[in-house]
Amino acid sequence: MTANLGHSSILLAWLIALLGIVTPIIAARTGEGRYLSIARYAIGGQFVLVTLAALALIYGLVTTDFSIKYVAFNTTRATPIYYRVTGLWGALEGSLLLWEWVLIIFAGITAWIYRDRHHEMMPWVIMIFSIVSAFFLGVVGFLSNPFETMLPVPLDGRGLNPLLEDANMMTHPPLLYTGFVGLTVPFAFAMAALIVGKLDEAWILTTRRWTIIAWFFLTAGNLVGAWWSYHVLGWGGYWAWDPVENAAFMPWLPATAFLHSIQVQERRRMLKVWNLSLIIVAFSLTIFGTFLTRSGILSSIHAFSSGPVGGFFLGFLTFILLGSFGLLAYRADLLKEQPELDSMVSRESAFLLNNIVLVSALFTIFLGTIFPLLSEAVAGVQVSVGAPYFNSVTVPLFLFLVFLMAIGPIIAWRRASWDNLQRSFLWPAAASLLLGLSLFMWKVRDFLPLLGFTLLAFVVFTIVYDTALALRARKRIAGEGIIRGLITLTRRNQRRYGGLVVHLGVVLIIMGIAGSMSYSVEKEATLALKQELQVGNYRVQFDGLKGTQQPTHFRVEGAFRVFHHGNDEGIMNPALKFFPTQQSPIGRAVHQSSLSEDIYLILSGFSELDRNQATLKVLVRPLVIWMWIGGFVITLGTLICILPMRMAQLSET
Amino acid sequence: MPRSRRFLIGGVIIIAALSYMIYGGMQEAMVYFVTPSELKAKESTSADKFLRLGGMVVKGSLQKDLQNLTYRFNLTDGTATFPIFFKGVPPDLFAEGKGAVVEGRIGSDGVFQATTIMAKHAEEYSPHKDGGPPAKSFVPAKEASIK
Repeated sequence: MTANLGHSSILLAWLIALLGIVTPIIAARTGEGRYLSIARYAIGGQFVLVTLAALALIYGLVTTDFSIKYVAFNTTRATPIYYRVTGLWGALEGSLLLWEWVLIIFAGITAWIYRDRHHEMMPWVIMIFSIVSAFFLGVVGFLSNPFETMLPVPLDGRGLNPLLEDANMMTHPPLLYTGFVGLTVPFAFAMAALIVGKLDEAWILTTRRWTIIAWFFLTAGNLVGAWWSYHVLGWGGYWAWDPVENAAFMPWLPATAFLHSIQVQERRRMLKVWNLSLIIVAFSLTIFGTFLTRSGILSSIHAFSSGPVGGFFLGFLTFILLGSFGLLAYRADLLKEQPELDSMVSRESAFLLNNIVLVSALFTIFLGTIFPLLSEAVAGVQVSVGAPYFNSVTVPLFLFLVFLMAIGPIIAWRRASWDNLQRSFLWPAAASLLLGLSLFMWKVRDFLPLLGFTLLAFVVFTIVYDTALALRARKRIAGEGIIRGLITLTRRNQRRYGGLVVHLGVVLIIMGIAGSMSYSVEKEATLALKQELQVGNYRVQFDGLKGTQQPTHFRVEGAFRVFHHGNDEGIMNPALKFFPTQQSPIGRAVHQSSLSEDIYLILSGFSELDRNQATLKVLVRPLVIWMWIGGFVITLGTLICILPMRMAQLSET
Repeated sequence: MPRSRRFLIGGVIIIAALSYMIYGGMQEAMVYFVTPSELKAKESTSADKFLRLGGMVVKGSLQKDLQNLTYRFNLTDGTATFPIFFKGVPPDLFAEGKGAVVEGRIGSDGVFQATTIMAKHAEEYSPHKDGGPPAKSFVPAKEASIK
């Protein structure tokens, strides 16, 4: 019943999506408004039906309706209700439905907000949304149906992968999907602008806020993913350059580049083709990411050809790339650039370099991700490209990006004079060099971390110094104090100050990455009762083992007393969980954070007989916590950028 | 110098630098995947090469010393077997009779000195409905999950 309702809603929504593709074309051709109204209703209809389908699947999951195969594979009777709901994105079919749901919500909001504006572009925006929606509905409806039924109906389900039963997994996929789908809005407007031939800055100004929101969700999704990996996967790291992670990270790079380069177009009417290309690439990468992670191609190139989903995604990707770049070529005559760079020492040039670096990073990561696939497909040789490749290639690029992060927001547009440069950068540069020197005297002796921390300090100092100068001016003009002055400055130019706060958040994240990449220590040992192990500034003492029967599994837990610099930090309990449905135990690593470093304990074995021995892996990772703090700072900065504040209309940049 | 030429030179420098970085990085981090029979066949030429060796842990071959955290076992692909030595903590999914991939190089004693063990993706973790359980889905233990 539930299954029928869900599946028929999907199929009906698919038909309506086709209507949503055709009617805008007729509307644009005939100029008759009623076709456009039909197209709007088509978006509304899809919204209602897809929501119905998603709710049907959630209902099936919550009521453990095991006649639906997807429910049987992703829940059990013992699964708590919130994990039943999150089962919606626990596997391929459901997560595609979630994607479509988020997409149609964005389409609905867009169609509603701009119902009285952009009369020329809106039909095409609706058409682009309907094309993407029809694609996903087609996949969900015909190829990868979450409502497939199962006979005989099993007595109990198999359940979600226990690793996915975690609070972060409730948020990570929806955040990421919201980011991916959010990029559809600027993409749809870009395509509409190309089709209509209205290639001024209108599409960029309209979608600016959408782009910031999409970027924020992409960032948050990736960070929460990293946190989940660190917190749950239990290997002590947060990023492995695994293709699945790369697939989620790659769209972030052109999206970030786009966010910067559109400012050059707004301000200087340059980089039109470049901006259009960036948004096409960013959007295509979201589709490519799904193809990569969901077609099975990663586990084996041969798994890809056996399933229809992969080919379908690849076909759609080709269609998007050919269609959008074809449009770009068709409109080439309208995209001629007038102004050129006045000087290499200017803000537009800093933004251009930022774009080159981001696109280079994208290219190298893309290459490293697909190289094993190409090698196996073309030469039949199986190779793997490991984390050292990604680190050695991206670290210099990202360090250069940090340097640009200090320069870009502060340096003058068009042409910066020597005087300008001295005034903005002399003191910050001197202060950061001094800090670098003291770090060196203290104990940071390796070149890359030293350079990294110095550059990060440079970013912070330029931001603080620039803001301080502006505050001094406020004091002189209006007699405002620091707090009052900050409020006025932010209200006058939300995007600038919000952006600077986001930069501070990025600085914190990179600081966490640099610290934990360069100065982690790890040790493993088998400890007898009361035996101690010294790792870095921590001492760990084994205090015994305990086994308990949990509702879904048997849990063996070690007790380890932890001392940091000699201070007793209490007991930590890493565990191994034995699920009856799984062949091997699942480790439950634990960690304790401080502002300077984290300790991370992984229980990897124990003596079954007398319970007086445990094999333990201990990692000490400096500064990791700053990555998560940076995430909150980015959230704050984004809010400053997008929240409507009084006086925002006065803003200029 | 005309502007276009300056941009051209800049572009060439960037592309050259990038290619150099990619090439260097690949040299350092590309690892070939071999089976025990392939490794047996070219044992002499493979000395010192960092490789990934994949196969099944032969039942009854596993000797572990928990005090020193050393593991000795044989990997087989059905036709040939290769002896492995590993010091450290293997992933949860590592066991006799199961698939595993090890990373390392052949030592002077002819034993493969593994620096990392990756267990085979347990089949029930595989989310792929289409195409069934993938044929060679080996991933490091830390990645043994569906994301």
